[in-house]
Amino acid sequence: MDKIRVLIAKPGLDGHDRGALVISQALRDAGMEVIYTGLRQSPKQIVRAAIQEDVDAIGLSSLSGAHNVLFPEVLKQLKEADAADIIVFGGGVIPIEDVKALEEQGIKKIFTPGTPTKTVAAYIEQAVLEGRGEERGLLDKPKGLDHIGIAVKSIDAALPFYLDHLHLKVDTIVEVPSQQVKVAFLGLGNTKLELLEPLSPSSPVAKFIEKKGEGIHHIALSVTSLQERLDQLKREGVELIDETPKEGAGGYPIAFLHPKSAGGVLVELCEPEKIKGDDE
Amino acid sequence: MSEQTSAFEEWKKRTEEELKKRPERKDEFLTSSGTEIKRLYTPEKIDEDYKDKLGFPGEYPYTRGVRRSMYRGRLWTMRQYAGFGSAEETNKRFRYLLDQGQTGLSVAFDLPTQIGYDSDDAMSLGEVGKVGVAIDSLEDMEILLEGISLDEVSTSMTINAPAAILLAMYIAVAEKQGVSKEKIQGTIQNDILKEYIARGTYIYPPKPSMRLITDIFAYCTENTPKFNTISISGYHIREAGSTAVQELAFTLSNAVAYVEAAIEAGLDVDKFAPRLAFFFNGHNNFFEEAAKFRAARRMWAKIMKEDFGAKNPKSHQLRFHTQVAGSTLTAQQPDNNIVRVALQALAAVLGGTQSLHTNSKDEALALPTEDSARIALRTQQIIAHETGAADTIDPLAGSYYVEALTDDLEEKAYEYMQQIKERGGAVAAVEQQYMQREIQRAAYDYQKRVEKEEEIVVGVNKFTLDEEPEPELMRVDDKFVEEQFERLKNLKAKRDYEKVNSALSDLKEAAEGTENLMPHIIEAVKCYATIGEISNTLRDVFGEY
Repeated sequence: MDKIRVLIAKPGLDGHDRGALVISQALRDAGMEVIYTGLRQSPKQIVRAAIQEDVDAIGLSSLSGAHNVLFPEVLKQLKEADAADIIVFGGGVIPIEDVKALEEQGIKKIFTPGTPTKTVAAYIEQAVLEGRGEERGLLDKPKGLDHIGIAVKSIDAALPFYLDHLHLKVDTIVEVPSQQVKVAFLGLGNTKLELLEPLSPSSPVAKFIEKKGEGIHHIALSVTSLQERLDQLKREGVELIDETPKEGAGGYPIAFLHPKSAGGVLVELCEPEKIKGDDE
Repeated sequence: MSEQTSAFEEWKKRTEEELKKRPERKDEFLTSSGTEIKRLYTPEKIDEDYKDKLGFPGEYPYTRGVRRSMYRGRLWTMRQYAGFGSAEETNKRFRYLLDQGQTGLSVAFDLPTQIGYDSDDAMSLGEVGKVGVAIDSLEDMEILLEGISLDEVSTSMTINAPAAILLAMYIAVAEKQGVSKEKIQGTIQNDILKEYIARGTYIYPPKPSMRLITDIFAYCTENTPKFNTISISGYHIREAGSTAVQELAFTLSNAVAYVEAAIEAGLDVDKFAPRLAFFFNGHNNFFEEAAKFRAARRMWAKIMKEDFGAKNPKSHQLRFHTQVAGSTLTAQQPDNNIVRVALQALAAVLGGTQSLHTNSKDEALALPTEDSARIALRTQQIIAHETGAADTIDPLAGSYYVEALTDDLEEKAYEYMQQIKERGGAVAAVEQQYMQREIQRAAYDYQKRVEKEEEIVVGVNKFTLDEEPEPELMRVDDKFVEEQFERLKNLKAKRDYEKVNSALSDLKEAAEGTENLMPHIIEAVKCYATIGEISNTLRDVFGEY
């Protein structure tokens, strides 16, 4: 893979380049090649530099309020120069309603103050790779809802509701010794319900029930390239419970993300295509 | 009575003398419990070490303040930086702030004005009226200051590369009001070195820029004795990410460069030095900040006396404006910024600032609304009138911690200044990008510490909210830009073209020689030459950086 090349530019007359310089350094540390234009660049100069330097992306920084005029002007000039494939992102003092408008006009992403530099770097990397068509699929959207995990004290006690009233059927019941749980899967259209019964008081599910009572425990999304995805999420600053996949109750790799990074929801990522046995 | 004690008695006597002419704000200052608050608290025994390091307020080395009675005599000037859009709108905001009890004006100019472009210049695209008011000619300046008596207010103008032009306009408006040059009060920022280092609104290369500055010094010494000719600024250096030590060291190194340039231009140090002013940042680390201001005063007094042989006590006094740190404001949970600003402002007051700008809570998002600008001003008023912080002089003196910090900052800043000296002084160091690189490194280190959560920023990397409500923001109406173009077009049609041309060619000739440029710039301004025309004339001679 060629190194990602980024042009960091200060359009207009604004002289505050602390942010531009910090981002330049952070992207370099993330392994990208970064060219910084210096101050007071017209959109034309920026586009010319971007083409000359053959960059994948342009980062625009403005703190003076001129973004609504200057950022779209860069997009327009790129188009005119037949270089609209160059991704444009931006940052600075930019009010939220302008963020929406600029993104609608074709700025790929506006990063607001306080965004960790890691997040910026990871985002650019992903966007550029997508644009190049390289390793496509690495970070496709999750394919679907694999299952919903429900913590119960006893599967036997919980089952009658699902069987007798909802008329679902039990697909399998397995024990997962590593998690000290017994699991029942009930098929439901394209997805499943997963009833989780703790096998010992030290099981994570037992602790969950003790703290919050019975109820929805996690949601599981099916994805591809689980390990790469975990690495990527980590780079983006998402807190992981499992940094490497482990085998789940369904016999395929899974990993949990920390609820702290997911608005309080315990999210499991799983890769059902890799059912044990027919691993490539 | 020992000699040492008599030094204190001497100070008391001289202070009493002065107070006869200019009494304090109140007859007596009391705590809530009825205890009388003394003007000054000192160690029981005043020894040589105390006199050498701290001294008495209004006396060398001025560690405890540049005035004898400090805020008991007169509070600091509450000076809120404002300006946006058209001259008419900004004039309205100024009058509002004066009505609200603000005591000085501070003009923010838009970037085209700051870099010497007319509003209709191609380079001005998108920037007209954005970060400040758009001024193209004397006509705009007349509108900006309409109804404000220039013999009553003091006006600070954040203008650097074209400082001479804006000062010339100010003088011209004053004359039209019937106020003579000698009476006008205020400050022009005029600090070009920090523009190369941190702020970015330079036009010409360093050498001719330094000449413009010494021309202003020379002109003002003779003509506008109450106007501060420069505000040597650490503020932007700190905003760019420097440490407190770097802020001190780079600012004072720049100041030394200005003094050297002026002396080299043949000026008498004791004539121009009393009109040098400083501008610092009020940052987060409370005690370090208070100590920084005290250290700055002591360092400057020593530099002026020992290195430059200045004899006039006013040359030794470091008078400064403080603005609290804009870069510490967060876009997240903006109400928290009110608290940050209050604490930063309190540190500046405890450090003895002469004037103060408190930021508005929404400045990480946009220009302040009228409401948030009012809260910012009220914050200062609360410190002044409710906390008692202004009731005794230099209240932190003698704290083991603060005195140790003061000494430490001084020592470390001297070391840095030494390195700059070895590089050939501030101008050379700027050209070598030395200070720029040092600041950039500090800024990046800080960002990494924030991301590792070694530095906590409340509401940003800790104590965050899942959902941020959208605050109400100030928007500058772009409609006026068209009107500004129109006004400029009309002006160019109605002014005396011959006169403008001849004034500009006189200016060009003077710039090619060594004559003081100020009188020529005043002439050009008076016949309504625009800021772009004047700046371009000088660009032709000086080149661009």
